Amino acid sequence: MVSHGKPSWLASKLGRREFLKATAFAGAAAVGAPRLFGAARAAEPLTMQTWSAAVDVVKSHLAAFEKKTGVHVDYGNAPWAQYRETMVTKFAGGAPVDMLWVSDAWLPEWAEAGWIAPIDGYDFLMQYNADVVQFCTDSMTYNGRQYGLTYYTDFMGFLYDADKLAAAGFSAPPKSWDEVVEQSLVMKQKRIAEFPMMLSMAQESWLIEFMSALTFSHGGRFTDADGKAIMQHAKDGAVSALQWVVDAVRKHEIVSPACVETGELAGLKAVSAGNHAFALLPKYRLRVLNDPAQSKVAGKIKQALMPMGPNGSHATVGWMRFHGMTAQSARDKARADETARLIEWFGGKADGQYTFQKLVFLDAGSDFAVKPLYQDPDVQAAYAKFADFNMIQQQQTLARQKDVIKPWFGEWSEVNGAAWQAAILGNVTPEAALDQSAKSWMKLKSRA
Amino acid sequence: MSTFDATAGRSGAAKRRFGYEERSALLFLLPVMTVLMAVAVFPILYSLYLSFFDVKLTRPNRTPFVWFDNYIDVFETPLFWTSVLRTVSFTVISVAAVTVIALLVSLLLNEKFRGRRLLSTVLLIPWAIPYVADALMWKWIYDSGYGALNGLLHQLGFIDKYVVWLGDQNKTIWLIANAFVWKEVPLAAILLLVTLKAIPEDLYQAAKVDGATVWRRFIHITLPSMRPGFMLVLVYETMVAIRHFDLFFVLTEGGPGDASHTLSWHIYVETFRSLSFGAGAAMSYILALITFALAYFIIRTVGRVN
Repeated sequence: MVSHGKPSWLASKLGRREFLKATAFAGAAAVGAPRLFGAARAAEPLTMQTWSAAVDVVKSHLAAFEKKTGVHVDYGNAPWAQYRETMVTKFAGGAPVDMLWVSDAWLPEWAEAGWIAPIDGYDFLMQYNADVVQFCTDSMTYNGRQYGLTYYTDFMGFLYDADKLAAAGFSAPPKSWDEVVEQSLVMKQKRIAEFPMMLSMAQESWLIEFMSALTFSHGGRFTDADGKAIMQHAKDGAVSALQWVVDAVRKHEIVSPACVETGELAGLKAVSAGNHAFALLPKYRLRVLNDPAQSKVAGKIKQALMPMGPNGSHATVGWMRFHGMTAQSARDKARADETARLIEWFGGKADGQYTFQKLVFLDAGSDFAVKPLYQDPDVQAAYAKFADFNMIQQQQTLARQKDVIKPWFGEWSEVNGAAWQAAILGNVTPEAALDQSAKSWMKLKSRA
Repeated sequence: MSTFDATAGRSGAAKRRFGYEERSALLFLLPVMTVLMAVAVFPILYSLYLSFFDVKLTRPNRTPFVWFDNYIDVFETPLFWTSVLRTVSFTVISVAAVTVIALLVSLLLNEKFRGRRLLSTVLLIPWAIPYVADALMWKWIYDSGYGALNGLLHQLGFIDKYVVWLGDQNKTIWLIANAFVWKEVPLAAILLLVTLKAIPEDLYQAAKVDGATVWRRFIHITLPSMRPGFMLVLVYETMVAIRHFDLFFVLTEGGPGDASHTLSWHIYVETFRSLSFGAGAAMSYILALITFALAYFIIRTVGRVN
């Protein structure tokens, strides 16, 4: 209401008593505020931060945790592509985070910076290691301390289109990288595919997984046991793997030159559109590729063991994402205990079952690291719809941890990615590219 | 005049300078100045301070003072010189194309013809689109697998198989410059059109009387009269191009290889991927100095009035 052109709250007069009351209340509030605030802090909810994956599953599982324990959890997520930068900024700025998802690639960096804390002081969490694939436990361990419980694991798979293979006159998928070239050339000749092999070599976070799979299967490594760069070595380094890629693009023309701008997701779309016969893709993509609603080649995409190089094996690269605890949370015993319970709810058993791992697998096809779930009838039935269960287990035993996971991995990865692309583009030889990459590695190592 | 008188004179002058109105103005400006200090001046000075430290977010407990090491390291990095080369290429191509096309568009819009207003409105559309949306649109157009450019050229019979566009290092900078030009031409054309409209009609009438042809009128009247507009466009577009980031981020991420690794991309990678805030701040200052020097050079040369 307006009186004499003024708002009503201005028009009403404030009496002496009202003024004194208001002043007294304000004074009391000022004196009592810190205590009230302190009390509020003690009852502050936990904060859980993840990347934007399986968001609905996470929310529903979180709701069940809150209902069971009465502990409130604030949930936030950020896109995978910006997750590392987002979290580092949060850590540096002191933003409240208790539980978070961590990639094995960031573990040394975050542990060295003192942002995440080991969870191996909680025996009820460590008991789950008995159920976990060993390479996964290794991937969550840094300097002898374990930093989390498993969220999901996967490995790089060699996938092929069975129909295109048959059309080219081959009865079995290639066992070696030479056979990949041989079969691809036949497919090109028969116009089955212009670029039979799909490789994603764009400068993104997936690139190191593709490079590692190629390198391991060629019998090479990026670093030795002491962490020294050997990627530039002709025999036990990454040279033969990079040379194969360069030849595939520039000499045999079985891989598109656009591979340097093709990310993992774009590669997946190209394969699901039926453009390629062979592909390197994370194994869990089999589910999408064999889903008629999402793929033109549903039911035709199979997995074979990773082809091997002349001095190599069927080895591939595996990776691990896990539920971790921040150092900030670990400093407060009460919060740390609640965070540990939250980690168990997600990474261990919830009400006696590996509920979250199973839900995420059934929802998105993201693989789990806990062996008992392989015996679950629902899991086996789901696998049967899109993959060869035995092949998956066979390849998983040959998966290796990346050998470049060090605190300086992020910086080196930029240089290494550009070096591989420069070789693919024909600007430098594979030897020169990897020599540059090795020098960058050693320089960063010496600074650390 | 005695010393006392002189002091009194200065005091009087000061009082005149800071009279009631000036003091009131300062009081009213104080909130804005405080905000500007907090959001502009302080960050600028703080980033200068950071540039003398080895600040790395992933190493929060060790940030030594390194004097000018960050600046020296920048000049010793081969990739920095590559990024300078890429930035120069992109800036020269983009600014030249924007200026020439904007001149032609402004000359067209200066003529009287039916549909001129509609054309002016349509021409402004690219300017109104945010850079990220512009970049995503061009990403679809340039895509080597399903892009509209390949589709169009293939249907018209110009190519018999799809061409790799952004993935071809010889085409990358040109294609990004094309997307930049598409976005920047409308504003540059408007700026030039304003200058064009300010040229007195008498000059053209007099030249016609003297028997000057259209071409000679353009060379001797139009172009020299548009000097202020050209200066504005050149300075503005050079500053925008040299610091440009969005298109490189969305379209190529500096690749393939280092084909589009410009200075702004170099700073982004150093600062936000390597999380080296000290080195990133040093590079930003170098870029700022380069931009300032170029703007000064353009103003001193193109802006000079004979």
